Amino acid sequence: MFAFIMRRLGTLAVILFGSSFLLYNLAALSGDPLADLRTSREPNAAQQIIALTRKLQLDIPPPLRYFYWLRGLFGVFIGKFDLGQTRGGESVASAIGSAVPTTVRLVTTATLTAIILGISIGIVTALRQYSKFDYSMTFVSFLLFSLPIFWVAVLLKQFMAIGFNNWLGEPSIPIKTVVLIGIILGLIISSVVGGDRAKSWKIFGVSAIATMLVLQVLVKINWFLQPGLGPIFYLLGSVGIAFGVTQLSMGISNRVALKSSLTVAGIAFVLYFPMQKVFEMQKQGLLLAAAATLTILIAVGVALYFAKIDRAAVVRTTVLTAVLLGILMIVDQLMGTWERYMGSDAINYRPVPTVGQTNPLLEPGDYWVSTLDLLMHLVLPTIALTAISFAGYIRFSRGTMLEVLNQDYIRTARAKGLTERTVIMRHAFRNTMIPMTTIIVVDFASIIGGAIITERVFGWTGMGTLFNKAVGSFDLNLLMGVFFLTGTLALVANLVADLLYSALDPRIRVGSGK
Amino acid sequence: MKKWNRGAKVALAVAATAGLVIGALSPATAATRTTVVIVDSNVFTSLNSSTPDTNLVLNGNVAYLSGAGFNYYDEKPELVRNTTFGTYKIMSKTPTFKVKYTVNKGRLWSDGTPITGVDLLLSNVISSDAYSIAAGLGDPASEDKKPAFDSLGYGGSYSKLIKDVSIAPDRMSVVLTYSKYFPDWEIAGPGPSPVHALVAMAMGEKKLGTSAHNVALKSKFLNAYIAKDKDLLSKIGKVWSNDYNVTSVDAKTNPLLLVCNGAYIVDNIVKDQRVTMKLNSNYNSGLPTSGIEKVVFTTIPDPTAAAQALANKEVDFYEAIATADSVAALKKIGAAVTVEGVTLATYEHAEVRSGKEQGTKVDYTGPFDGMSQKAKDLRTAWLLAYPRQEIIDKIVKPVNAKAVVMNSHQYFPSEPNYSKMVAASGMAKFTAGTQADRTADALALVKKYYPSAAAGSASVKLTMLWGSPSNTRRSAEAALVKAEVAKAGFDVTTTPTSGWSSFLGDPKFDVQFYAWSKTALTQAGNFGSFKSTDSQTGYNNLEMDKIITRLETEVLTPTEIYNLYLAAEKILVEDAVTIPLFQWPGVIAYNSALKGVNPSPLSPSFLWNFWDWHF
Repeated sequence: MFAFIMRRLGTLAVILFGSSFLLYNLAALSGDPLADLRTSREPNAAQQIIALTRKLQLDIPPPLRYFYWLRGLFGVFIGKFDLGQTRGGESVASAIGSAVPTTVRLVTTATLTAIILGISIGIVTALRQYSKFDYSMTFVSFLLFSLPIFWVAVLLKQFMAIGFNNWLGEPSIPIKTVVLIGIILGLIISSVVGGDRAKSWKIFGVSAIATMLVLQVLVKINWFLQPGLGPIFYLLGSVGIAFGVTQLSMGISNRVALKSSLTVAGIAFVLYFPMQKVFEMQKQGLLLAAAATLTILIAVGVALYFAKIDRAAVVRTTVLTAVLLGILMIVDQLMGTWERYMGSDAINYRPVPTVGQTNPLLEPGDYWVSTLDLLMHLVLPTIALTAISFAGYIRFSRGTMLEVLNQDYIRTARAKGLTERTVIMRHAFRNTMIPMTTIIVVDFASIIGGAIITERVFGWTGMGTLFNKAVGSFDLNLLMGVFFLTGTLALVANLVADLLYSALDPRIRVGSGK
Repeated sequence: MKKWNRGAKVALAVAATAGLVIGALSPATAATRTTVVIVDSNVFTSLNSSTPDTNLVLNGNVAYLSGAGFNYYDEKPELVRNTTFGTYKIMSKTPTFKVKYTVNKGRLWSDGTPITGVDLLLSNVISSDAYSIAAGLGDPASEDKKPAFDSLGYGGSYSKLIKDVSIAPDRMSVVLTYSKYFPDWEIAGPGPSPVHALVAMAMGEKKLGTSAHNVALKSKFLNAYIAKDKDLLSKIGKVWSNDYNVTSVDAKTNPLLLVCNGAYIVDNIVKDQRVTMKLNSNYNSGLPTSGIEKVVFTTIPDPTAAAQALANKEVDFYEAIATADSVAALKKIGAAVTVEGVTLATYEHAEVRSGKEQGTKVDYTGPFDGMSQKAKDLRTAWLLAYPRQEIIDKIVKPVNAKAVVMNSHQYFPSEPNYSKMVAASGMAKFTAGTQADRTADALALVKKYYPSAAAGSASVKLTMLWGSPSNTRRSAEAALVKAEVAKAGFDVTTTPTSGWSSFLGDPKFDVQFYAWSKTALTQAGNFGSFKSTDSQTGYNNLEMDKIITRLETEVLTPTEIYNLYLAAEKILVEDAVTIPLFQWPGVIAYNSALKGVNPSPLSPSFLWNFWDWHF
């Protein structure tokens, strides 16, 4: 094992050296940083050429200049790590240091959403193989997969930002649209639930009409301008979450888990009222961290009180429920902030932004307004990134799930008389996740690499933008800095994925290839 | 707001909806806005835009709003004196050329310190190679070490001619002595720098000083300047070259960095996102502003994203990419956004080779070679057949509907002398009749030497240089030219050339078209490239050389200058070696509520009259 890791790390160093040398030279040969000055009509152009040559060491041939860069990199061993300066005079390390968090913020949510949504839809399509839902999801995922993100982004901005903001000026939904949305949602729900023709029609009818009614009511009570759940809907939502989580993780029939989850929901409802006051206090960041810790502690306490056997599973279920309830409460609080946010001078009733990370005119100070502003700026990029990337997860998890479902041990589990829920969630789902891990780890490493096009169309300056800028302006130090970080991460992620694979799947052992 | 009252709201739905709709609509129109959000495609990198690393448009725009000096360019474009700040006048022209710059009494830096003549001295430190060397700050022309002040200003006319800079006893004026008169002295003059803040930062101070302390610091700088105190000046150089490179500004930023004398002062900068500037309460160095209290520069690199942000009312001003598509997209937004075509100070022109570039080896042997009547006639025929109006109509007008054919090298159509010049220079030859008439005339000229010439006969074979394959606008231009000149018997090869700019002197190409960019108005005008020693197309005319030399060196009255320009243009028409085409079109799009926008072709383009802007 140790030898395996050392060997892999050695290969990693060789690959990094070779590829960085190659990239440096290719990039150096790709263009002439002095081009602008050569055609300049400024009287002191000659002197500017001298200055730039001096700064970029253009008098040294690129293969040699590479080693000057490498020397700075090796400085890490003597505490003088130096990736050089960008052409703008900023240190490369600090440029990357400030770009990484931006990128992470932009891409993490989308990647997580894509993973969760992709895997769950993939599994449902596997369970409903060759159903209407399966075919339509396959169609949708391939459609989204093949769309270019800059185009998706333009459409999203046009309809979900500019169009939606205009619509908010007079928020009414024409009856035709209401019917259409109802029918679409009805079709989706009925195809997911499945069943024979009569049942399917019944579900379609009920969910379509319910959707239309809810939409009408939301418009009538002006919900889009003053959204909110209120205690009643919070309670209903909590109970729903408690049932849902229990069903998925242990099954409703497990009374202990259900009782534990429902108790947590009850506590959350009681705490709902004092929390409204807490949300108005200063130092929200600290308070929320404390509240989160407290939530988990309460959940663990409740679970331990109820559970006498199979404790770990009950604790897991209860904690998951509690976390979701906390999130729901925060969502409710953000909805309560909506009106204040919309009415501010900076937003002026146009809440969905098309570009940037925060609103430049918003006065700082109000924690919830600022949070809402951050989230609103994430909405469109996240939808765009999720839409184009979750198709892969759907297809992959569907394929893996189908393969697992055909294994002998699934048949054995069914033969033992286990419930369908247990077969799917405990025996099939877990084994499906093993190959998924590999993809997920590598995907997370590539998050840092940034999303060049997405960052550009949404005006975020992250790693992708740095890379783009470095290539465009022959900024070798910056290019190499970005490359070094993303290259190393990609290689390390591959190593980690291999190790994880062997840890998760006892049939596989690393380093025993010989 | 109590959430459990929501039930009651259902009953009041209609009233609430009506109320909210009114509520939602009124704020958009009622309150007068005081903030303008301007899009820039780059990120901010420095409060000092005068170093080679930081000379970017956005840095320059921030510097323009936070500074005020002796003069600025207006929209005509003409150099306008800013007499609110100070005055300058010529003391003597011979034997040495002396100019006196005086700062008006009572002008203030943003920290309340009075501006004096001492503040003008730093200009010499960052522009004079001789001073930098004499004070031991390094030779700016050195190939291996940069000077203490890493300035873009070294090596120009100022540096070559300046002999002495002295300060008057009252410390409000400086006198600049140049070794001889040079025509562009006005744009080479000094500007104010907050030297007290520089000295304070060089000594490690981190907060604004008292006024007495600041006055003492100014004297300290004056002494160091006069004594060429290498120690202190190097420290100041370090601050000037490095410390101003800040990418974010917040409450923790050293306030000394922000000291300025412009209308707006940097309030905060969010790294890679935006620069927010607020009114400078001590501003009295220039014209008063008209109601904009905050200016925000926000970074949006993508043109489509910027247009959509404008449509979504997130930004107020956007200088767009000048393509027909982007203009169409902006116009679709509707009345809320004003889209204006503007002309830039860069103009496209066509050139015809008439010989080999001096100092190069390969001879030019094409049909246009030399000053013989035949060569002149063929060149004239080429220029006559050049479809200038068609190029404007098909390529430029979709971006700027007001675009016209340019008929003078020296003056833009917007300038007062333009019509007078065009009427007198003989350009009428190239504008008379329709293009069909002119092409027919061209064919007649070609026929004189190639009797078999006819439309499409390909009697004269030429090669044209125009740009790289990726330049779609030029590729379209080249295609239009190729089609039209074919009717006059020319056959021109228009293959694109990567790295075209290094082939401008290559005799392989008989004809070329490209653009020249003006960044300042100089007395020598736009004729420098037709000097025999500098001409890349091998143009050689002694008369022209004499005119250029006079323009570059002599003290001339406006009438004399105009007459020299006219003589030069006449020669160019006569020799048929070049023809102007059009000014590059630009596009600005802005919130229609914003008033007072009046863009100038020279930098800082749309921003030059920010003091007139209001909602």
